[in-house]
Amino acid sequence: MKKLLVTALLIVAGIPLLLMVAELPPYGSAENATYTHVSAHYLEHAVEDAGAENIVTDIILNYRGFDTNGEVTVIFTALAAVLAVLLLDRTPAAAGEESAPAPADEESTQPVSIVVSFIVRLLAPFIALFALYVILNGHATPGGGFQGGTILGALAIALTVVLGHKEAQRLLPEGLKPWLQAAAPLTFIVIGLAGLVSVGSYLEFPAVNGHVASAVATFFSNIGFPAAEGLSWVRAMWLLLLEFGIGIGGAAVIASIFWTMEAE
Amino acid sequence: MLTALWNNLDYAAPMMLFLIGLYAVIAKDNLIKKFMGLNIMETAVFAFIMALGVVDGGSAPIIDHGAHAPFTNPIPQALILTGIVVALSTTALALSLIIRIYEQCGTIEGNELRELG
Repeated sequence: MKKLLVTALLIVAGIPLLLMVAELPPYGSAENATYTHVSAHYLEHAVEDAGAENIVTDIILNYRGFDTNGEVTVIFTALAAVLAVLLLDRTPAAAGEESAPAPADEESTQPVSIVVSFIVRLLAPFIALFALYVILNGHATPGGGFQGGTILGALAIALTVVLGHKEAQRLLPEGLKPWLQAAAPLTFIVIGLAGLVSVGSYLEFPAVNGHVASAVATFFSNIGFPAAEGLSWVRAMWLLLLEFGIGIGGAAVIASIFWTMEAE
Repeated sequence: MLTALWNNLDYAAPMMLFLIGLYAVIAKDNLIKKFMGLNIMETAVFAFIMALGVVDGGSAPIIDHGAHAPFTNPIPQALILTGIVVALSTTALALSLIIRIYEQCGTIEGNELRELG
């Protein structure tokens, strides 16, 4: 009875959706309204405005830098919330169960298939290298901080499955842990404030615009390097720094969420 | 009407996927299954917005030396990158809440939880 009702509801909800879809401009048409306004402008001007060949990176880190700043804060907040929900304010009974760690320890050293273990250990450095490549090439090829960070986080999860909880957690040294987990929002805030101080607007890259830029340009022409090229190089470095912060922070957050849940 | 729908199949398919997710959210009692339904709905929305950005014969929006117009619309891609991260965050938070509910109540079936309450 309930299933029939739900199905009827879905049909009623689905018909307007399909009617709307039928009225949209044809799939893949270049006259699509989403394509002819802001996108056209971005495709034309993004490289000179923002400095990276990959326009998606330009949009994420430059045109919509505020949005990405908020987004990295969202993942960090999610981690904080997960930690708060799972670790804080435990009832005494639940805490008591956890303080008897002997069975949990055995669980984490559960034997994994030797083939899987060997392959993961063998591939780990290459996966890490690939993740770093994806992070650091985000401005010129498909990829970037979020994608590379996810690969790095997945590597940490795979290593946890193979090596066990204790071994894998050594990837994040205890003293550095909170800093790495907050790396993404911290990078954004530091670069944003540097822009605020040196150029006068939040997240404007320092030494690309404003009065510091002319000093940098003079420096580059003094050492016999084309000034314009030098400035775009400096801007690429800022983009790279942001990507790196996002990647490391994202990986640390993903791995920490997994470890917290796995410990339950 | 039907030919228009067939031509826009790439938009219609995410809509169907959205309804499948909605079904799971409404009809399933298990909280994890409910949340899987919500994730299916999220994926459907992502697929729909990505489909809106496709241009026939378009290449990736990377202005390289060999690249030539038309380029795929970069805005939906940037938007969905943001969306995926938020989806991941909500999933992580919801799963940890479900873990706590199981610890406290011993069940994650919606109908059994209602009886407890």
